[in-house]
Amino acid sequence: MDKMMFLLSEGVKNLWRHKLTAFTAIFSIFLTLSVAGSLMIVGQNTNKIIEYLRGKYKIEVFFNENVSDKQIASVVEEFNKINGVRSTTLISKTDAGKIFKSQFGENILDIVGYNPLPASCVVNVVQYQIEKMNIMPIVERIKSYPEVDEVQYQGRLIYRIETYYQKFVKIMTVLLILILIISVFIISNTVRLTIIAKKELIQALQLIGATRSFVKAPFVIEGVFHGLIGAILASALLIVGLEIGSGITDSVIKLKIQYSPFILVGILSSLSVVISFLGSSRAISKFLK
Amino acid sequence: MIRLDNASYSYTNGSGISNINLTIGDDEFAFIIGPTGSGKTTLLRMVYMDLLPQVGKVVVDEFDSKIIKSRKIPFLRRKIGMVFQDYHLLDDRNLFDNIALSLHVLGWAKDEIVDRVTESLEEVGLDGKDDRYPEELSGGEQQRACIARALVKDPDIILADEPTGNLDPVTSFELIKLLEEVNREGTTIIMASHDYNLIKGRGHRIIEIQDGSVRQS
Ligand SMILES: Nc1ncnc2c1ncn2[C@@H]1O[C@H](COP(=O)(O)OP(=O)(O)OP(=O)(O)O)[C@@H](O)[C@H]1O
Ligand SMILES: [Mg+2]
Repeated sequence: MDKMMFLLSEGVKNLWRHKLTAFTAIFSIFLTLSVAGSLMIVGQNTNKIIEYLRGKYKIEVFFNENVSDKQIASVVEEFNKINGVRSTTLISKTDAGKIFKSQFGENILDIVGYNPLPASCVVNVVQYQIEKMNIMPIVERIKSYPEVDEVQYQGRLIYRIETYYQKFVKIMTVLLILILIISVFIISNTVRLTIIAKKELIQALQLIGATRSFVKAPFVIEGVFHGLIGAILASALLIVGLEIGSGITDSVIKLKIQYSPFILVGILSSLSVVISFLGSSRAISKFLK
Repeated sequence: MIRLDNASYSYTNGSGISNINLTIGDDEFAFIIGPTGSGKTTLLRMVYMDLLPQVGKVVVDEFDSKIIKSRKIPFLRRKIGMVFQDYHLLDDRNLFDNIALSLHVLGWAKDEIVDRVTESLEEVGLDGKDDRYPEELSGGEQQRACIARALVKDPDIILADEPTGNLDPVTSFELIKLLEEVNREGTTIIMASHDYNLIKGRGHRIIEIQDGSVRQS
């Protein structure tokens, strides 16, 4: 217990003793996390958009003339079980007639003498999914039922939206990983400076019989403190920025930027802990070996 | 017990020590003397396994250089107090914290540390100076502080490398007497020095080293 206190206080004291490196480390974590946080917010809002768009994806299925209502109902039940289908809406021949009447104001029976409108069904696809949404397998499955006469969908448009979205996800992921890797290196280099300044202490500790982890702990603790301070600053900047930005978009296009301050702070501080832990461990391990 | 079996170590430039056979018992006070560059420091570094022999082996109690894993070496060092010329006090902390460091490493509780550090500062006559920074101590006081640092953990072995380095003869003599007292209480002492006058006629074992080889007397 006292040993833990000692290591902790060494870590905090180091923070004071190395003000310049502390500043550099905190500033670089602050910068990377601000960028990473912005990317995440952009990603999150893009996800909202893609979910909205996917809500609009529709597969319209028209059934053969001679299929009974009962058969149709059971086929639609089958559709619901297809992977990637969120919901279905059945429109029977009578429903179709009613829709016609409400849109054209006239009864179709009066015009052509019988109801030529086929029974149909609207299939909606799932909205939440990071991977590319491919509706072709769904369409193929639906087409394979002999009861189905025709399937209509906006294949090309959906394909285009999904392809762009996928490119976007890939670029964001690569950018994010890149930024995190770069920051691990920056941290590890700044921590290296403090380690060099502390060479005598490290050698003394090794002479006294300190284990590797005992020697490492204060540096790692110091690094994690840098990380947390950087994360708090970055969160503050992003939240202020987002509040202002959201106010502007709200007044201009009646749309607020979607984000949760708690999740943002949570993600940024855990990221910072991981980054600074990796960075400082790397630096001190390299020095000890 | 410390035993070197045909131990050799050579630095990359070829110099070093070779074929050392030596046994030092637990109650011994042994001097290692020899001219500069003869290999005294190298020998001591082998004892605390900073250097592992390329040929032969060094055995210190249950630690055997042939089979020891590097993560076990700290546990050997916990039994050894070191007084080395270039092992200065850390100038970023006061005397008390410098000496307490060894006990922190051993995982002692805080109040035990306070008692023990105060005790060992008294032993070397530095009581009341515990909040001084190293730069506020004279050379001799610093040297005594280094001894206190070695003594504080009540080691089984003390390795001293030229501990009288920049001390005047009187202070040097007092330091030897202090070490003798520690030895009487059961600590093995190995002290390297090239000052034969300081150590002759005190009845201790003298190990002479020359060009990396031992000539025992
Ligand atoms: N790190 C090193 N790398 C290469 N050679 C070294 C190293 N340390 C010591 N030597 C060489 O090994 C030999 C023994 O050195 P060592 O330091 O053991 O001598 P010493 O007896 O302690 O001398 P002194 O009385 O001057 O302290 C010398 O020739 C020295 O130049
Ligand atoms: Mg030497």
